[in-house]
Amino acid sequence: MKDIREDIAWAKINTDVLKSLENPRKLYWVILFFALAAFGVGVGCEIYQYSVGMGVENVNNPHVWGLYIATFIFWIGMSHSGTLLSAILHLMHADWRKPIYRFAEAMTTFSLMTAGLFVMVHIGRLWQFYYSLPYPNERGIWPNFQSPLLWDAMAIFTYLSSSIIFLYVGMIPDLAICRDNMKDGWRRKLYTLLSLGWEGTDRQWRNFRVTYLTVACFLIPLAVSVHSIVASDFAMSQQPGWHVTSFPPYFVAGALYSGCAAIITLFIILRYVFRFEEYMTLPILKKTVRLTFAIAMVWTYLNAVEFASVWYSHDSASKDVLIQKATGPFAFAWWGMIFCGSVVPLVLAFKRFQTNIPVLLVVSLLLNLGMWLERWMIVSPTFSHGYYPWTWDHDQWPSLIAWSIVLASFGWFTLLFMVFCKVFPSVSMYEVKEMVYHRSLHLKKGETAEQGAH
Amino acid sequence: MSVSNLLENWSQFRHFHPVDDKPHDPYKWAMSIDLDACTGCNACSVACYAENNLPVVGKDKYAHGHSMHWMRIERYWDEDVGVAGGREFPDQGAQFLPMMCQQCEAAPCETVCPVAATNHTADGLNSQIYNRCIGSRYCSANCPFKVRYFNWYDYPTTDNVWPAEMSQQLNPDVTVRGKGVMEKCTFCVQRISAAKVAAKGEGRIVHDGEIQTACQQVCPTSAISFGNLVDPESRVHKQWKAQQVELDKEAQAKDKHGEEGGSSGLRGYRILEELRPYPSVMYLERVRESAV
Amino acid sequence: MMDSGFDRRDFLKVLGWGGAAVALSGCGNTSIEDGRETVVSYSEPADYVIPSIGVYYNSTCAQCDAGCSINGRVREGRVLKLEGNPASTINRGKMCGLGQAGVQHHYNPDRVREPLLRKGDAGETITWEKAYALIAEKMNGVSGEEVAFLSGGVSGHLKVLLGNYLDSFGCKNHFVYEAVAPGVMRAANKKSYGVAMPRYSINKAKVVLSFGADFLGSWVSPVHFSQQYAQFRKGVDGQRGVLIQVESKMTLTGANADRWVAVRPGTEGILALGIINALGTATGDIAAAVKEYDRVRVSKETGVTPGQIDKIAALLKLRSPSLVLAGSAAEGYAHGSQNAAAINLLNHVLGNIGKTVEACESVPFPQMAPATGNTAALKSLSDGLAAGKYKVLFSYAANPVFTAPGAMKFKESMAKAGFKVAFAHYMDETALQADLVLPLDSALEDWGTQVPEYLATCAQVNIQQPLMERLHANTRGMGDILLALLKQRRAEEYKGYEDYYAYLRGALLKNKGALGGANVDDDTFWNETLTRGLIKLEGPVGALSAKANAAGLKLPAPAEGDAQYPLHLIPGVTASLRDGRHTNQPWLQESPDPLTTIVWDSWVEIHPKKAAELHIVEGDIVEITSKTGSIKAQAYLFPGIHPEAISVPLGRGHEAMGRYAKGYGVNPFQIMDAVYDNETGELAMHETRVRISKTGQRVIVVKDEGSAGGSQAGKKIAVRVSTDDVDLSEEV
Repeated sequence: MKDIREDIAWAKINTDVLKSLENPRKLYWVILFFALAAFGVGVGCEIYQYSVGMGVENVNNPHVWGLYIATFIFWIGMSHSGTLLSAILHLMHADWRKPIYRFAEAMTTFSLMTAGLFVMVHIGRLWQFYYSLPYPNERGIWPNFQSPLLWDAMAIFTYLSSSIIFLYVGMIPDLAICRDNMKDGWRRKLYTLLSLGWEGTDRQWRNFRVTYLTVACFLIPLAVSVHSIVASDFAMSQQPGWHVTSFPPYFVAGALYSGCAAIITLFIILRYVFRFEEYMTLPILKKTVRLTFAIAMVWTYLNAVEFASVWYSHDSASKDVLIQKATGPFAFAWWGMIFCGSVVPLVLAFKRFQTNIPVLLVVSLLLNLGMWLERWMIVSPTFSHGYYPWTWDHDQWPSLIAWSIVLASFGWFTLLFMVFCKVFPSVSMYEVKEMVYHRSLHLKKGETAEQGAH
Repeated sequence: MSVSNLLENWSQFRHFHPVDDKPHDPYKWAMSIDLDACTGCNACSVACYAENNLPVVGKDKYAHGHSMHWMRIERYWDEDVGVAGGREFPDQGAQFLPMMCQQCEAAPCETVCPVAATNHTADGLNSQIYNRCIGSRYCSANCPFKVRYFNWYDYPTTDNVWPAEMSQQLNPDVTVRGKGVMEKCTFCVQRISAAKVAAKGEGRIVHDGEIQTACQQVCPTSAISFGNLVDPESRVHKQWKAQQVELDKEAQAKDKHGEEGGSSGLRGYRILEELRPYPSVMYLERVRESAV
Repeated sequence: MMDSGFDRRDFLKVLGWGGAAVALSGCGNTSIEDGRETVVSYSEPADYVIPSIGVYYNSTCAQCDAGCSINGRVREGRVLKLEGNPASTINRGKMCGLGQAGVQHHYNPDRVREPLLRKGDAGETITWEKAYALIAEKMNGVSGEEVAFLSGGVSGHLKVLLGNYLDSFGCKNHFVYEAVAPGVMRAANKKSYGVAMPRYSINKAKVVLSFGADFLGSWVSPVHFSQQYAQFRKGVDGQRGVLIQVESKMTLTGANADRWVAVRPGTEGILALGIINALGTATGDIAAAVKEYDRVRVSKETGVTPGQIDKIAALLKLRSPSLVLAGSAAEGYAHGSQNAAAINLLNHVLGNIGKTVEACESVPFPQMAPATGNTAALKSLSDGLAAGKYKVLFSYAANPVFTAPGAMKFKESMAKAGFKVAFAHYMDETALQADLVLPLDSALEDWGTQVPEYLATCAQVNIQQPLMERLHANTRGMGDILLALLKQRRAEEYKGYEDYYAYLRGALLKNKGALGGANVDDDTFWNETLTRGLIKLEGPVGALSAKANAAGLKLPAPAEGDAQYPLHLIPGVTASLRDGRHTNQPWLQESPDPLTTIVWDSWVEIHPKKAAELHIVEGDIVEITSKTGSIKAQAYLFPGIHPEAISVPLGRGHEAMGRYAKGYGVNPFQIMDAVYDNETGELAMHETRVRISKTGQRVIVVKDEGSAGGSQAGKKIAVRVSTDDVDLSEEV
């Protein structure tokens, strides 16, 4: 099977992709409505929480972190897929990434934006949020540079700004296509502005290639560091169940895992909603699925490493936490995580499921459910079973407010994503053209060789 | 305001466990609590409510773990009491333990606060700056003793917490905390400050006994002593010395005896010392008669 | 502290206005001009008001009757915090949690603020003049026999005034009622020792054997005993005192014992005789009396192992002097007096009389000595009311509608009184039944003298003085009210006293010589007395009878099991809530019970073994049914209780009183049977038999304890060491 048909006309690529920017189908409005509704409910809950106090999250004194932190890690993790597909695979010259990297990158940016919101939602005095920024002030008061939470703030901010730049730079040639194909109106003005006078000259292409490569190289270590730092929030603390040296790679693996799973989900949705069957082809899906499977196994391995190192250590407190996870009140979630994270991906090992769209949709959603549970299972059990037995296990089921805000974050993400798809081309036109071109070149070479043999 | 300023001054105001080149001088506040004298009567806890403007959160919020008792009395049973195959009755009584902020020298809470709202003072207190706190709650997450209490709600404006008449009882020397900040035992820092100011005016340092924390003052069995650990005349200093407990060690003379299987005759210990937070509170083990 | 000629009333007034200004500007709900003539601004304060500087006044704690002296911190005219007064021989600068909450009694938002007259089901606000006139009208033509005055324990000048008032119309019906009081003990001690309240020197004892006396929690004078206990634990020459507690339900004292002995409910006396038998040192009629109580029989009847009895006897023999205490848990039975007599006998046999059970001084003014009482008084009042004997009923410092045993049906008999006057702090259950409710000052705004029943080392008269001006304009001190009522009767005699303050000052100055002020002028004496907050006196020393008397000592065999009501109901008396008079103080509601750590609610303590038998788990709502009635509360599995007993704490379950008390928990007084002690006629509080059944509901118990329960999960948190491994004499 081939990744893409070699005989698609370039003009057809333009029309097909630009069609996604035209008036949306009814389904688009339905999705948008639900996303908006979910987000609206969340905003309401946040306003309530802001005015009443953090107690409405139903976390409590020893158990001070809850769903917000778990979901924060989840969204940070989600952001890693875009970087993986665009930057890493770009460096590795994996051509099949081309039709799908644009939306993956958008996903990175939007999930980072969502994650950033959770920092705000989580802190007790949102109105004093700026204290955590190292802004110059005449009193000489700095934030605490020793705190992993501060590293977090910086890493996320850097990563977010870099991913926006990366997304934007990669989009410039496409924006020029949009500009050239648009009638007069606000869109045309927008694209004119954003395409920075792109004419497609050799010089422009050369500079573009270098810039894109540089940003990609810059982004990869950032992506690794951002989730390592999130892991440090836990690994740098002293608490049993968190104080684990393998947390940074474990978190990065988990991040790539959930990101890939999300790509599969969005792949299927976009392919259906925007009729991108020509570009988001099944062979590409298959490659993504295989990549996901590999990462799932890495994650499973790192999970096992963590369990083993806790089990065979002399740290009885950490061991207690592990036992508590498997047998305590969180057992359902913990086993759910093991099932969704390590058992469900085994389906992906079977060839016939690797292109089966309904199965893949369900599996990818389950994988992300598992990854969300994983984050919750990192945060909560340590609180309910820490060093100090007297404070173990107060009532800690998250409140409806907390669940609503978590749900709202999905609404917010969907909202951003849907708007993005209507304003910007979600498939990279120039790279698909490249791909088709490479493909036809390759075929020609093959034909020539064949002729030569005769 | 420059990066060099930041780099140069950093080591000065980030200063963790006691080190030889910067000894505590002239004060290092510390406590010792005699568990053999403690009866678990809760007077200290109520006195703390009275002194430090702690809100009464009510039944529902208590049920959700939102209680604000800076000083809590824990009650433990022997492990083999009331379980199948164990002893039928707790025939050696219960174990009571007053637990509050241990004012650790290398406090796990201090390093993790993103805005440096919790700090170490020169006289060895783990201070909490309410104005600076943004409520990330990382300090509580990293506290091994779980003695930090977060203001989940805005208690000053909550019904029946401080109705008009009751608000007249609030101690004007202590801030009333609003929603979203972390708080904890301060070793009654308002009393310490007042005594220090008074002593400074007279050109001397604070004498032992001049400062009593609210819990110490009320304790019917005088189980709590509080004072200046670097003052050789203070009761706390003498107690720590007699029990051979050293502030900057994670294992004490008593533990060494224990490893060798012998008994040292000592009963001073610090809780979770092995994590190296270097707590400023020494407990004296409860004693039980062997003859009956 | 104060110059002579300085008028304290004015001083307080000024201070009070200043305080009011601060308070009002703080909460902004009232205009400071409202009816106020003088408001002192900070720009021109009187020279004794220094903003931000606290001043301290000594007074007396009124949260219970132990008579601890307190020292209140006052700033800008507001009392902020109470500490103990170090000069007192009772509490020596220390306090308990209940005492700490005294400020919440004072600042309580649910205090009665105006005199209220019943109008159907509602109360109508009236003036004090009208209230006094109404009382005069109702008393008109009523004979002394037709008036009953119910009060809690009273002492000092208030008692004198009250006595004079009752005398003024020939009334002898003063009923002194305290729901939780050592009534049986007073009578038993009188018989055993010759005095009702000897001095117990816990600090001098090497062994304390306590039969249900919760002296660290709620018994007699807990703060004083707690200090003695600390000395006792330190011991003499490093010989640490040993505490053995015998009881069926673990109290705070039991939780601190070296050996806690679970005894079958009601068999404490048998165990005491068994120990005398095991000691083998008794002679004469005592030996004869205990002859039959050999260890096998005693063990069978009490459930205490023979080995344990021998160990206790051996220790008592080895370490002398010891001290044996009989507490309310041993005395709360129909044979409570016999139990107490048997236990007191141990002190005689062990030779503790004169060593750890000592004679104590009493206050040289018998008319000021405390009037005490227990349920027997309430019973005779209730009988009288039921018979329609009383046309006017006064009630002060008691809440019998809440605390009377359910079987007494006090509320019904009270309704038969013609006119009911309640002097009240809160609209509690009794005040709600009254026709006229007169609001009282809090103890922190009223004058008074108090003589504690239990005197520690010397006779002592405690002074109570206002720490701040009245919080509410229309409350009155009980002394002022009595004075006003007396003026209705004996205007001539009392016209010289403008108010209770004047009366008190006059009375104390008249006896200046006897009160240690012979050589100083009046003002100096008065000011010094107020500054100290107490007067220490030389008083007559009572005589202890050293002769033991075992005659007539007869203990019934342990009660047979009752198939219908198989369990004993033990009412738990907690250190902070006692009989429930302070339940509306939120600090006390939120202060966890030391043993169960439960807050804001009642619970049923049940032994895990019994619970397993009945398939009850923590949080099950169970119904407890006695012959008298039934209550429902959450179950708490508690190892420190005899499997044949369950325990429900007293003090909660109010149907009125205030926002922090009403609707929290249940009131076990309601289901108490009317069983009385054979000798004294006091209520046998532990005699109620009950059965327990599950209702099918389950709740999460609100408590401080986490899911690990009382386990330390193998961690070194609260550590214990055996006496063999420490040397206390080396300690600081």
